[in-house]
Amino acid sequence: MDVSQYLEIFLDETKEHLQSLNTEILNLEQDPENSDTINEIFRAAHSLKGMAGTMGYKRMQNLTHDMENVFSEVRNGTIKVKGNMIDILFQCLDALEEYLNTIQETGEEGSNDNEPLIKLLNDVLDSKEGGEPKEVKQEKVKSADEEGGGRKWEEIKFDETQKRVVSEAASQGKNVYGMTVRVQESCILKAARAFLVFKALEELGEVIISKPSVQDIEDERFDLDFSLIFISESSLETVLKSVRSVSEIEDAQGALLEVEQTEGVVVEEETQNAVPEIVPEEKENVPATEKPAAVPPATVKANEKKAPVSKPVVNRTVRVDIEKLDVLMNLVSELIIAKNSLVSASVGDRNNSVNEHIEYLESVTTNLHESVMKVRMVPIESVVNKFPRMIRDLSKKLDKKMELYMSGEETELDRTVVDEIGDPLMHLLRNAADHGLESGEVRKAKGKPSVGSIFLDAYQDGNNVVIEVRDDGAGINIEGVKNKAIEKGVITPEQGENMSDQEIINLLFHAGFSTSEVVSDVSGRGVGLDVVKSKIESLSGEVEVKSKIDMGSTWTIRLPLTLAIIQALMVDVGGEQYAISLGSIQTIEDIVPTDIKTVQNKEVIHLRGLVIPLIRLSEVLDIESKKNPEDNMTVVIVKKGDRQSGLVVDELRGQQEIVIKSLGKYITKCKVISGATILGDGEVALILDTNALF
Amino acid sequence: MEEVKVALDNETTQFIVVKLGDEQYGIDIKYVDNIVRMQHITRVPKVQEYLKGVINLRGEVIPVMSARLKMGLPADEYTKSTRIIILRLEQHGTIGITVDEVKEVVTLENHQIEKVSYDSKEEKDYFLFGIGKYEDGGLISLLDLNAVVLDKEGV
Repeated sequence: MDVSQYLEIFLDETKEHLQSLNTEILNLEQDPENSDTINEIFRAAHSLKGMAGTMGYKRMQNLTHDMENVFSEVRNGTIKVKGNMIDILFQCLDALEEYLNTIQETGEEGSNDNEPLIKLLNDVLDSKEGGEPKEVKQEKVKSADEEGGGRKWEEIKFDETQKRVVSEAASQGKNVYGMTVRVQESCILKAARAFLVFKALEELGEVIISKPSVQDIEDERFDLDFSLIFISESSLETVLKSVRSVSEIEDAQGALLEVEQTEGVVVEEETQNAVPEIVPEEKENVPATEKPAAVPPATVKANEKKAPVSKPVVNRTVRVDIEKLDVLMNLVSELIIAKNSLVSASVGDRNNSVNEHIEYLESVTTNLHESVMKVRMVPIESVVNKFPRMIRDLSKKLDKKMELYMSGEETELDRTVVDEIGDPLMHLLRNAADHGLESGEVRKAKGKPSVGSIFLDAYQDGNNVVIEVRDDGAGINIEGVKNKAIEKGVITPEQGENMSDQEIINLLFHAGFSTSEVVSDVSGRGVGLDVVKSKIESLSGEVEVKSKIDMGSTWTIRLPLTLAIIQALMVDVGGEQYAISLGSIQTIEDIVPTDIKTVQNKEVIHLRGLVIPLIRLSEVLDIESKKNPEDNMTVVIVKKGDRQSGLVVDELRGQQEIVIKSLGKYITKCKVISGATILGDGEVALILDTNALF
Repeated sequence: MEEVKVALDNETTQFIVVKLGDEQYGIDIKYVDNIVRMQHITRVPKVQEYLKGVINLRGEVIPVMSARLKMGLPADEYTKSTRIIILRLEQHGTIGITVDEVKEVVTLENHQIEKVSYDSKEEKDYFLFGIGKYEDGGLISLLDLNAVVLDKEGV
């Protein structure tokens, strides 16, 4: 069976289940008696097992099966939750995640059976007295409403050919069964289940009619059940058994149909309805997926009432293919370009009505842009959710007591950013746990609570999203960093003397720098913070650190809300147009050439008490400035973190909303250009990466 | 055996014939996405000399290189007949190359193409994969586009 089309949804769902298992097991550790938590865990584990089974990942299924056994005993109260059991469960989750990664990369689950883990799980099971590990039938409650829907095969109509097939089969001594199969409400891959049912049946005989049609079932256009007429030589027992063996099938009911050679088919006993005719009242039970024309309005209503109940209300999201969004995004880009060309065409033409139209178009494009961006936004929750678990593990590993406090998980960021932000954040948290927090004794000696605190706060600030990682640990040892930097040859002792504390702290982001005396496997091989920094910068963000001895450190990550369309200042340099992102611009100054001073062979200006280095863009961009060197200079002051630089440009062209286009993978040597944009007149202008100029 | 060979020999490839300096070169048409007139090229600073910059091709930003500079010929003089050939290469994505003139499209049968063997590849022939022979005895050099576009180490 080809399940590859379900692979993506399988991966997504499994990740969600794993995440919720992680969270809930953490809760369980805090509150071992909470039955809601236990039920939640059980549900997640159960679905996980079912999904792995459908997709044919046997090893994964085995492991989850054993986990589920443990959970079920916990639920029944026969095993008590203990610390080491939680550890084992977490190891299992890690193993499952490994399977998942392997599946994602190769489509296969790999060959690791994880037998030691399974054995550990079984040991946990054996530790309780007198219980036999068996699956719990959790769906019994629903059997009541099955009564009505259980015999839907009775509604199946036969056409002439089918009648003939049936009677022919009967004359050959084969059995004709009617059957209704019901999948579990929680089942996600309904079509896949149905497919497995069909596959199982085809091994035993032949399905002649199904309702809804096979096509509808394949497209998942059915509610929770489907009915079949089936010809087989096997007994009803065997057939039903093989159907029920498909996982996540709640029930399958069936009966032998009596075939009268001349008249067609009549159901054996129990019901007296002649099959070819459907009594109208019975239509209540017709699944909504049947052709709408055939369903009377009443049925539609009945199903509408039912529909909301059958879906869990947990997550009301629509999965949208990113590529489709990109297309939409590109269209919006085009629209903005079109708008820009209108704007440039209307310059000089004082026709008011044109301007009105342009303003209207402008408001439309801005709104459209905003709403498309919103579609692309996802809460950072999906990334930060795994951190409590990580901190718990770190706490055990490092033998330090610590708590993680998170806020602002609902803060939204562009999907692409959220996908990338996980690793840097994880790194900062590990750093805080490993280097930041002191051991329990040291903390007591300092008069601090022995349990260390790490905070992860996210919030929106104007056009940026700020994520802060804060700890109440020792703070950064500035002398230590300085000595280390000198020792590693990052700076000379003389340089060290002249550096401010903040500058020294910033050395931490230098490549090849790790201050931890002992290299642990938790953090620090000197490849850490510089990677964090470059990752964040590749997302057009910035990272800063502030620290106070014995008060702790705060790492602040600042990320732009959107990446694809930005507000930019257009400037002229040597007759060429360049765009500078408005976000990085501090002020624009008019400078008299005589105000320029030279410090260490570098041009600087004094501005409101600050010394700001000057960068002549004409030199950086290898082009002749077209300005008279004696005229006043236009200087754009840009900032990067706490530092500022003055960019000398020839002329300002004004502010514009620009669509960022990549220069492509062919042009890679140019570090000072971060991309290009298409102007209203169709020309290409390059976007300066001001961060690279510092 | 004989039959197979005949079949192969009769297979045809179409080439766009372009002029660079005094010579004519053939570009396999399957890589050609588009041919556009010369337009303003936005210079990109700090890149290899042969990379002339980027252009806007229907809303996409496409890098453009000078085939002349890349192949060690004198720099382009843009004229009315200068064209940018937009190539779509698997390895490098979409890229434009400037040529002096686009002449025509020729169809060559495989037996009319003489492959340049590697050992005979001089510096000048580095960018060629073969020589095409016309019916009337004319010759064109067939460009190995991947070699033309490839960023050679140390260039």
